[in-house]
Amino acid sequence: MSTIDVRKVTKKFGEFVAVKDVDLKVDAGEVVCLLGPSGCGKTTTLRMIAGLERASAGEVVIAGQNMNELSPAKRNIAMVFQFYALYPALTVGQNIAMPLHFEKLSKVDADARVNKVAKILHLTEVLDRMPGQVSEGEKQRIAVARAIIRDPNCFLFDEPLSRLDVELRHSMRGQIKEVLSNLSKATVIVTHDQLEALTMADRIAIMRDGHIEQVGTPHVVFAKPANVFVASFIGTPQMNLVDADLLSVKADKAEFQIGNMSLRVGVNGAVNRIGKSKVTIGIRPRAFVPISAAGPSAITATAELIEPMGAETLIHARTIAGGEIRVVVPRDKRVKTGEILHLEPDAAQTHIFGPDSIAVRP
Amino acid sequence: MTVSLTNTQPAPPLFAPVAHNWKLALLAGLVISILAILALPAKLSFWVVGAMLANIAAAFAFNAYRRKYYGGLLVAPAIAVLFVMNLFPLLWSLGLSFFAYNSNNQSIRFVGLNNYIKVLTNDIAAPANWDALINTGMFVVFTVALQMIMGFLLAMLFAKQFPLRKYLLILVLTPMMLSVVASGVFFSYYYDPTFGILSYAMGEITGNQFILMDNKVGAVAGIVFTDAWMWAPFVMLLVLAGLVSVPKYLYEAAAIDRVSKVRQFWTITFPYIRGLLMLALLFRTIEAFKLYDLVYILIRGGQDTKTIAYLITEIANEQNKTSEGAALSYVILFMVIVLTNLYLYLANRRNQGV
Amino acid sequence: MATLAEKLGFKKASGVGEAGWGHTVIVAIISLIYFLPVLMIIFTAFKPSAEALSVPPTLSPTSVFGLIPDQFVFTPTLENFGQVFNRVMVTGSAPEPTGFDRFFFNSFFISSVSVLLALIIGTLASYGFSRYPLKGNDTYLFIILTTRMLPAIVVIIPIILMFRVMGLSGSYFGIIMLYTAFNLAFTVWMMKSFFDELSPDVEDAARIDGSNEKKVFFKIALPQVKAGLAATFVFGLILTWNEFLFALLLSGKDTRTVPVAMNQAVSSGGRGTDWTLLASIETLFLIPVFLVTFFLQDHLLRGVTFGTVKR
Repeated sequence: MSTIDVRKVTKKFGEFVAVKDVDLKVDAGEVVCLLGPSGCGKTTTLRMIAGLERASAGEVVIAGQNMNELSPAKRNIAMVFQFYALYPALTVGQNIAMPLHFEKLSKVDADARVNKVAKILHLTEVLDRMPGQVSEGEKQRIAVARAIIRDPNCFLFDEPLSRLDVELRHSMRGQIKEVLSNLSKATVIVTHDQLEALTMADRIAIMRDGHIEQVGTPHVVFAKPANVFVASFIGTPQMNLVDADLLSVKADKAEFQIGNMSLRVGVNGAVNRIGKSKVTIGIRPRAFVPISAAGPSAITATAELIEPMGAETLIHARTIAGGEIRVVVPRDKRVKTGEILHLEPDAAQTHIFGPDSIAVRP
Repeated sequence: MTVSLTNTQPAPPLFAPVAHNWKLALLAGLVISILAILALPAKLSFWVVGAMLANIAAAFAFNAYRRKYYGGLLVAPAIAVLFVMNLFPLLWSLGLSFFAYNSNNQSIRFVGLNNYIKVLTNDIAAPANWDALINTGMFVVFTVALQMIMGFLLAMLFAKQFPLRKYLLILVLTPMMLSVVASGVFFSYYYDPTFGILSYAMGEITGNQFILMDNKVGAVAGIVFTDAWMWAPFVMLLVLAGLVSVPKYLYEAAAIDRVSKVRQFWTITFPYIRGLLMLALLFRTIEAFKLYDLVYILIRGGQDTKTIAYLITEIANEQNKTSEGAALSYVILFMVIVLTNLYLYLANRRNQGV
Repeated sequence: MATLAEKLGFKKASGVGEAGWGHTVIVAIISLIYFLPVLMIIFTAFKPSAEALSVPPTLSPTSVFGLIPDQFVFTPTLENFGQVFNRVMVTGSAPEPTGFDRFFFNSFFISSVSVLLALIIGTLASYGFSRYPLKGNDTYLFIILTTRMLPAIVVIIPIILMFRVMGLSGSYFGIIMLYTAFNLAFTVWMMKSFFDELSPDVEDAARIDGSNEKKVFFKIALPQVKAGLAATFVFGLILTWNEFLFALLLSGKDTRTVPVAMNQAVSSGGRGTDWTLLASIETLFLIPVFLVTFFLQDHLLRGVTFGTVKR
């Protein structure tokens, strides 16, 4: 079975702990994205799965077998590198055929395999060229072709699309997803691009400072962020995070004090448990409903900067408490700079994070 | 590029006596030089010709400066030094090779190609020259081959990063920094049949007295080894530079692709060091053609080990047959140029193929 | 492991990978064997004259706690180094100065001036070749390279004659110019490959910002090729420092360099080779170039890689 099971894996470089106690399970046919800002340990985690780095502690289990002490060659994995790692002295065809030498195939069989994957990835035309003579997008596809030509235990991708321009990135996301869905292997993709993670992954593991902060489906990490970090990291424009004092909760309605402003918002029942305390309120920019007049359930703010984004308009506004909030409204809702807005947060999309920054959920 | 071609100034008329009129300087220089050579004694005419050359050079420089022709200005000093110190002597000795000149009695006589015919076909001189040529070829092949192999193996040792690497590397580089006199003399001591450590060690092992240099094979081996020992570090440095420039991720990809070590070497490592290996080959071949000092210091040309450079020095310096020496030099020069061009041709073709 | 390596002055791995102390031991053994002939020269410099040619050869100044049998051990002395500068020339008379202080100065002066001069002229020229290509640029460069390919003997006779006519025989100026030319070809070729690697965009940007050509060269281009300058300097120095043939035929009594003087000192007097003297001269002579190479070592590797690997 093609599975990956990472158990309490830690990596230290001297005194520096790059990855600490990471647990991650990837099932056959599942695509998991490791997502996080640079330096969060996601690439190190991937390299430990590949065997390019030795785990300082913990276990790396691939296809049910403990691989800790095995070299990358013995793990039977396929990996696509950030810089593609194409062998510069070999033709595209020879590059793709490199992993086949191990299997000692006949020339005819090997050529047939190369032609097959070249066809899948639209590389037939460039098989005889050198890596220096092909485009960035083709290089990327060659790297993928080299990975899928064998039958590995799992696939590993290190920032596979980071070197492509926006348009190519978009089409490659689709292509890779399609190719992977036909292979039913455990796949780990490292990326710092949340759009890439949200579109390609079955599950996303969000990392920070060597820890996994949350693992979940793209829907879950977006709709139910586990903590303030995940909430701020996922979603564009970024979620509004407002520090507030929770005063009281009555009938699923909570009273907050934000500076000199008070606000009443509908919350889930679990908020009752934390009582009077300092919390963070998270509201997505798209979760505001503009209403006509001020009220206890609305935030009053002045529009300071208007950024049209095509179908929608992003408004940077200043609340009467002095904080800045981002609001996205439909294109047809015209707002002028300096205009006073009354914004009512949608209770279903409002998140409360307790004093420990952890989301308060039922 | 950006500023080089701003020659908005018109060229001055031919006879205008201004500093940047290089055409006039050239014309005047030619006329005065020819007159001086014909009319004045050799010593004086030499200085006149020199002054005219300097004048022409100055005119070119002024012209270049006025026209903001920076490329020419930047290159000029180097060209001037190379012309005076390299090309001029070269042309002189080329001229000399067509004369019979003897530095002892300063007599000079035009003989056309006779010197060349003599060094290549004369009953007495030619066989020695051909022998020396064959010896040179042999030394080129052996020393260069040994240097390349030793240099390459040393470089492989130092390719990885390991503790104390910097300090061990400088130890291996040291032979290159020795004066050839000292290393030559000391190797003749190491090879010495009575006092040398080699003979002592061999004597202890075999029980017989061991004399390395008493036959041609031994003498050649001794010279080749000494030369290779001195210059393998140079090859190593070039190869090492290639090895450390291979991106690490290629080896990582190869490990994941389960490529064998042998295949990794030929498909990843070798392409990176090929250019530098060729360069080392070129440099060392050129140097090996000039092999003289070690042959002199280790064995004074005995055991039939005289190289062509040795022979030329002998002919020109000891026998005072300067012209013959020059003619023989040009035979070598011709060979070196053919070889280097062949090399450059092959290297270029290789590069274009990639 | 990594921290200790870093403490010892290593950079992070940049090649095939990292190896541990096991590899160090293997390389250390091979390096020491390779270094052995040099070590023997250095040891000989510390041997008493009488022991220089002892059979069996003495190999070590210490018995290394009894590991080496006594017959191979010598008692180190510093006497030979004094002999380099002051020596008994005629048996029975007082020691006389040998003039080696002058020869060392000559070697220093001639090598450093000519290598630096070649570096200055050559760097200017290589920048010219790289940034303002002439028609037939490659041909010029090839001609410049060929001058390096000639056997020294081919050019030496005309140079001797020319120096004689110009009164340059035995002068500093003559030998320095000759060595400058000798180093120039190599310098131009090497530095050009460095300038070729630099992006001219940066220089153009500086021009647009109002820098003149002088400023562009000194402030923009030159600082980017530091490693190349260092590498070229080291190579030039090693070659010039030990040059023997030109120096033998062209330097006069006052401008004699150490290799020539060394050759004469060891073979003069009809007493055969004076081993300990030769060894101590060479040991002293090795120190400067060894130190320069050691301190510029990092640049040396980077310098060679820079221009030549990329196509």
